[in-house]
Order: sequence, then structure tokens, then C-alpha cells
Amino acid sequence: MKQSTTWVGKEVVRRDALEKARGLTKYASDMFLDNMLWVAACRSKYPHAVIKRIDVSRALKSPGVVAVFTHRDVPNNRYGVFVKDRPVLCDDRVRYIGDIVAIVAAESKEEAEQAVEEIVVEYEPLPVVSDPLEAMKPDAFPIHEGGNISRSTRITFGNVEEGFKASKAVVENEYRTAPQIHMFLETEAGFSYIDEKGVITVVAGGQSPYRDHHEIVSTLQLPPEKVRVVIPHVGGAFGGKDDVSVQIYLALVTWKTGRPARFVWDRDESTIAGTKRHASIVRMKTGASADGKLLANDVEIIYDTGAYTALGHAVLDVAIENCNGPYKIPNIDIKAWLVYTNNMVASAFRGFGAPQVMFAMEQQVDQLAYELGMDPIEFRLRNALKRGDVMVFGNKLETSVGISQCLEAAQNHPLWRQKETLKSEKSLPWIRRGVGVAAAIKGFTLGALPDRGSVAVELRRDGGLTVKGSFTEIGQGVVQAVAQLAADLFKIDIEKVEVVFADTGKTPDTSVTSASRQLFLAGNALKKAAENLLNLIREVLTTRYGQKVIEARFENGYVVGPGFSHSFEEVAQMLEEHGLSREVVGVYDVPRVEPIPGSLEIPHLFYMFGATLALVEVNILTGTVTVPKLVSIADVGKVVNPQTLTGQLEGAAAQGLGFALLEEPIIDKGILKTTNLSTYLIPSIKDVNEIEVIPVESFEDEGPFGAKGIGEIGIISVAPAIANAIYHAVRVRPKSAPMTPEKIYWLVKQAGLTVK
Amino acid sequence: MQYSRVEKEFFFRLNGEEVRVRAPPGYTLLEVLRHILHLTGTKDGCSSGDCGACTVLLDGRAVHSCLTLISQVEGREVTTVEAVDEKVADAYARHGAVQCGYCTPGFVVATAYLLSKMHNPSDAEIREWLRGNLCRCTGYVKILKAVESLAGDDG
Ligand code: FES
Ligand code: FES
Repeated sequence: MKQSTTWVGKEVVRRDALEKARGLTKYASDMFLDNMLWVAACRSKYPHAVIKRIDVSRALKSPGVVAVFTHRDVPNNRYGVFVKDRPVLCDDRVRYIGDIVAIVAAESKEEAEQAVEEIVVEYEPLPVVSDPLEAMKPDAFPIHEGGNISRSTRITFGNVEEGFKASKAVVENEYRTAPQIHMFLETEAGFSYIDEKGVITVVAGGQSPYRDHHEIVSTLQLPPEKVRVVIPHVGGAFGGKDDVSVQIYLALVTWKTGRPARFVWDRDESTIAGTKRHASIVRMKTGASADGKLLANDVEIIYDTGAYTALGHAVLDVAIENCNGPYKIPNIDIKAWLVYTNNMVASAFRGFGAPQVMFAMEQQVDQLAYELGMDPIEFRLRNALKRGDVMVFGNKLETSVGISQCLEAAQNHPLWRQKETLKSEKSLPWIRRGVGVAAAIKGFTLGALPDRGSVAVELRRDGGLTVKGSFTEIGQGVVQAVAQLAADLFKIDIEKVEVVFADTGKTPDTSVTSASRQLFLAGNALKKAAENLLNLIREVLTTRYGQKVIEARFENGYVVGPGFSHSFEEVAQMLEEHGLSREVVGVYDVPRVEPIPGSLEIPHLFYMFGATLALVEVNILTGTVTVPKLVSIADVGKVVNPQTLTGQLEGAAAQGLGFALLEEPIIDKGILKTTNLSTYLIPSIKDVNEIEVIPVESFEDEGPFGAKGIGEIGIISVAPAIANAIYHAVRVRPKSAPMTPEKIYWLVKQAGLTVK
Repeated sequence: MQYSRVEKEFFFRLNGEEVRVRAPPGYTLLEVLRHILHLTGTKDGCSSGDCGACTVLLDGRAVHSCLTLISQVEGREVTTVEAVDEKVADAYARHGAVQCGYCTPGFVVATAYLLSKMHNPSDAEIREWLRGNLCRCTGYVKILKAVESLAGDDG
């Protein structure tokens, strides 16, 4: 049901913005405690080697050194969310160059770094497996016991052979994408100390305080109540802080030495040791009938997880779920592998496995449209999912589906309507223009996995509210959004709403900040909390008035009902007088669906949709592609704060642009050569031109005030839209991202294009 | 070679006040600001001159403090984001140009410098002057709007 709102839907300046802009906000990397130790890591010298011996005796004598830790100091030296395949400190083997063999804690940064040089590690190098296709071969050198396939699965519906037989056009291609590096501006950083109650407190950039807490207590075998994890404002994450980084090491140092510690990765450590977007190889054979109906999709997905699984099992599921696009296809056959190599570890990155497969599928669809002589948007619209449809996996879509609206918005956009004019317009003789489109789909929440979020709401004595949840503020604006939702749910002025976030000592578990789920989960849990508070108040009033109070509602900072009206201050006082807590908890469980055979979390109940239009200019002499304009269209349900929404979509578009054109890590036999921002280029203000954002508000009944998720959808269709625009401009299909000048130059040359 | 911590005393003006600080001579201005003085508005995004998060004004000119040795600062005037005219930060906040905010102080200082040199910069000039500052969150759209809102403003 649609409700009227005061704060939800309103453009409000974020409460954290000014402090951040003035440099006053304290991030984890900004804290320097008295008596603090500096931590430095001794990382592997080889992408793959057996450890013969570790000798830390010289390092221990190095000036300023307080302690050196190795695997012997870690009681349970394996961790991981899906597979416990990752050592905290390497014991028998190193499997990539980011692996840590020992850590040093010293009085100063320089002394810690100096001592790392004094650690002697004897290695016996092993064969380096850097190519996932090689790694998959049965005779490949195994990186883990049990071989190099971390997970493989096959999911089929219908019969693809029949589908291809009935198809008029069938296209078959192989696509590749490079591992994208998050390059958040604040690297992995944290500090730790023992608080006055003797609790080891780790304050570090992250996305899930309770998960980080779990990884610490399970590896160090500490009593859970002896560890607290706090995540302050984080200087960017995008999925790259979904896994633990510095947390376990900090807890270890503080636990063993009793002293505060600081561990902040340098930029090159961050690029080498932090997680990445999975490099991908995707093969697709896709067929459509003469009247433009998709009939079959035969897909092979190979994702390179690097040395460890991290969140890869879930990422692979998202790839499988999204590789058919937002379309109805009766026959699918999807084979997928998550493969170990000695490359950098891959895990979550905005889009979580979807951008790679959509780079493939949206070019397949485009090519089919061209082959059938149909308009690419018309073709997509003919196949677009609608509410009530049965999706490829046999699940019925009963929640909001805005893909048709997104595609129609693209179709009506001047950029699309004028694309042939734009293409033929006169410009420099070596420039070719083109316009491309691509669609996107992404499930949000954790799909068929259990997904629960809790928040607590404290009614303060001053009549204000404090909302507490373990959501993390990674830049996306969740704190602001939660304040707006709370203000409307409790009908109170937003200035009176305080938000406390991401602290296992103070906030209940709202679970992970990923999968674009936080706004949705926290919002729904808040709704429950509001109901619970009203129930509590009704009970108190019933006792007070000696007759049953059935009706009560929030209104303008008051609780009102027939014949009564109490301010929040009064209510707070009443609760205290009755010996009741002023805090209520709201818990929301995402309705469960059964996973389909062969999957972990497919399907989702809820999906976001989107589409991107791109205008490109291809320089056929140099192969350089520029993007004068991107239009990002997204179905995100009800918009909570337009400024935050457009900011998320613009930022996602720019990251998508980097993924599409610029961001190319050079990896030589497992060794990353591009370890800084001058060799691994992310978009600068000169690379990003006009970005127009069009929200399509398809109301989601289950969402708080109709809202869905917003974090990820904007990145997914950017690279394929640019690829399709390049095709429109120069009639070649770039099947490998990033689409660097070198690649485009050769494609254009092969196609024999010349300056007019 | 054994590292030994040799320190020297340095003197400079920081945000209008005189400071004397003992630091290893190899330290950068960024290290002195953050690690010794704990003045952390100036951020460290790369320590190698590539991201602009560490931008400060040195005698009124924008520099990367991660590439500026503390010895080069001797006797000079340093202005960090904490002392830059608040209206610049305010424009960033109001236009939604702040997400994670880790890049923002650097942008704010670079913008203050740009406006001190150019009253009414064009879109192309803003892009040229801010090209050394990287932001991974915003896509720059709102950053441009924020800077444009300050252009030609005499207040
Ligand atoms: S920290 Fe100085 S430019 Fe990045
Ligand atoms: S706001 Fe996060 S890097 Fe710019």
C-alpha cells in the first residue's frame, strides 16, 4: 500500500556530508592511540611455493619490535565464508603474492617494516597456475587438496537443442573480462585496543561487523563476548571490504600483547592482497525465432577465484542467475566453474558476478536483434520479463518488475531516437559515432539463503529516537536513508532521529551490507520495530487507564488515540515508570524460497532492473573510445533520497565505464604489475562526461514505502551498452573488456575501416 | 643495514599557527600531518602522487603533501582542509558530492586553490584543474556541480 511520506522521497542533504568534506570525520585510518603498535606484514615472495622454514629470530631482535607472529600463534588457522580454505598466516604453502606469512608489531611504522625484512622464509617454488583454463585441466598442478575446481555446477531447464532447432538466428561467442580492482580511496585499515571491560575491540573498514567478528573469534578461538567489532565511516568498499582484511591480525596483536595496534595497508598492498572482481571467460550460444523470441541459451561460465574461494560460491550463483538477462527463455543449459589459480583472490565487487555475464548476454541479444533485422530495444522488449511470468528457473515473479519501463524510457530517450542522425552527423574524419543499449537484472537480498535483519529503536528521554543497526556506512548513504525511513515510520522530525551503526557491542545484527539489501532489510526491520513500540505503548496505556487501549498511532512526534495524546518524552517516562525498557527490537525475515537444484541461492524473490544507453566516439586511427554521454535508467522501487540515488547511479556508471574501457591489471604469471593508481587507471574527472540518471519507480509492495535496492544495478549494463555502441559505430564486436585502444585498434583494422 | 630513527626539528606555519615538530628528515609533509600531528583531515590515498587525497596548500599553492618532504616545508605556510573556507566544503555537501568522503578533503583544497586563481572557471577548466584528484564513489557529476555553484561567487 502506498503511504504518504514527509521524508521518504525528499531530497535531503546527507547528515554526514559536511563533516566529511571538512576533514573532521574519523575513519579507521585516522586513529592513532597512545602506546600503539604498528603492524606490518611479511608477504609471500612467490605466487606459489612450499614453505620450508620460517625464522623470525633476527626480526625479534630488530629495534622497536615487540612481537612477531606466525601460523603457530593462530589456534585455528583456516577461515572462509563458504570454504575454510584460507590461512590467516601461511603454514605449509603460499598460494598468491598477497599471502601473509608473518606479521610484525613494533613501536613505529619504520621499525615494523624494517623487521619484516629480517624475517627469513625459505620457499620451494611450485608451478604457477595463472590461466583458469589450464587450472581446470585434470593434470594441472593442484593449488588446493582436492584440485583446482572450487565449485562447479550445471543447471538446465527445457531442452536447448530443441530451442536451437526452432531458432531462425543462433549466435555463438566467447567473451572475457579482466579482474577489476576496487580502488576505494581508503585502503584496508583498522586499529584495535582492549577496552575498560577487557574486550578486544577492533575498529576497521568493513561491510559486516558480525561476520568479521565471527572470523576473528573462530580463528583465534576467543570467547565471542571478549571481542567487539566496530566499523566507522568507511572510505569506500564496493564489495572489496566484504571479506576480512586487517581484522584478524589486529585482534591477534592486541590479544597477545595487550596493546593497541594499527594496521593500514599501503596502496600496493591493497591492490595485491585485497579481493578483486572475478576475471571471466563466458561462452554463449543463444538462439531466437524469426519473430524475435529468445528460445535457447547455452552458457559456460568460468570465473577465476584466485588463490582462495572467499565469497566466490555465491558470486557464481549470481552469474548463473543473471546470465540470461531480464528475459524469458524457455530452454537454458548453464555450466559454471569457479576455478582456483595463483592469481589475486576474487570476491565481491558491486554487481557480484553479474557484470561479467551481462557483458556477454547483452552483446548476444544485440547481435541477434541485428541478425533478425529488428530494433535492439524492440527485440529486448519482446522478451522482457513481466510480473507474473515464470522466470528461466521455473520461479514465478510475483514482485515488482520494471524492466519494460526501463527499456521504454530508453526507447523514448532522444539519444536513442536520434541515433542514426548522431551516427551520420559530420565530425572529424577518423571519428565514428554510435549509440548502444543494454539491459540489466540483479536479485537483491540473499535469495534462497536465510536472510534476516534486526534493528533496535530506543525512545530517548528527550523524546528523540536512536536507531541502532549493524549496517555499515561505506559511502552509500544508508545512515541518511535509515534516518529518513525512521522519521516517516515514527512520524517524528528527522532532526530527532539519531543513528548508531555497525558496532557488535551496541547494535543488533542487521547482517551483511551487500547484495543491495541494507536499505530493504533495515527499513523492514524498522517497520516491525515501529509496530512493536506501538504495541508496547498500548499495553502501558491499558494498564494506566485501566481500560483496553486498542487504537494508537504515531503523529507529529506524539502517540495519539481516542481521547489521548502523549509526546514521545512522556511515553519514554511512562515506560520507565512501568519498569519497561525504552528500547524495542524489530526483526525482518526475507520470505524464504527453496533453492533450485544445483544452486545455493537461486532464485531471488526480489529483483532490480535497469538499462544503460551509451553514446560513443571511436577513433579509428588510435582505437580510443570516448563516451560523451551515458544514460543510466534504473528500477529501484520507491526512491528514498533522490540525491543519494542519483549519486549511487552516477558512481556506478563511472565504475562501469572504468570496467568497460580503462581498468586493466597486468598480471605476469601470478604477479600483479599494476599495483598503483598510475599504472592501474580508474576514471578521472576528464574521463567521465555527461551522465544522465532516470529512476523508474516501480513500487515494491514488500519494500519499506515501496523501496528496493540501489547499490549495484547501475554498473551492470554499462560495459555491454558501450560495446553495443562500438558495434553501432564501427560494426565490430569487442568481446574482451576492458575495451582498450589496442584491442579496438586491431578489431577496426581487421574490419578494414579507413578514414573517410 | 639497521634502521635507526634519526629525528630533526622542523618549523613551519600550519593553518595560521607556528609549529615546531620533531620528525625523521625523510618524512613527507603528509606523514608529519597524520602520523605525528594527528591532523587527519588530509587523507592518504596512495602516498605516491596519484590520487590527490593528500592535497594541501603550501604558501597558497596546491601540492601533494605525500610528495612534499618535510624539509621542503621549513619556514613555509601550510594550509590544510581544516582551515579552508567552509563554503567550499558546504557546496560539496549540499550538492551531494560527498559519498564515502575520503577523497573530499583533497577536492575541497584543490577547489579552493582553483577558485583563488580563477574566478569563474569553465567546465573544461574545472576538469583540467581537478584531474589529479580521484574519486571512486561519485562519478564526478555532483563534484562538478558543487564547483560550478561556487564559481563567480564573491561571498
Ligand atoms: S596520497 Fe598523495 S596523491 Fe595520493
Ligand atoms: S566520495 Fe568516495 S572516493 Fe570520492
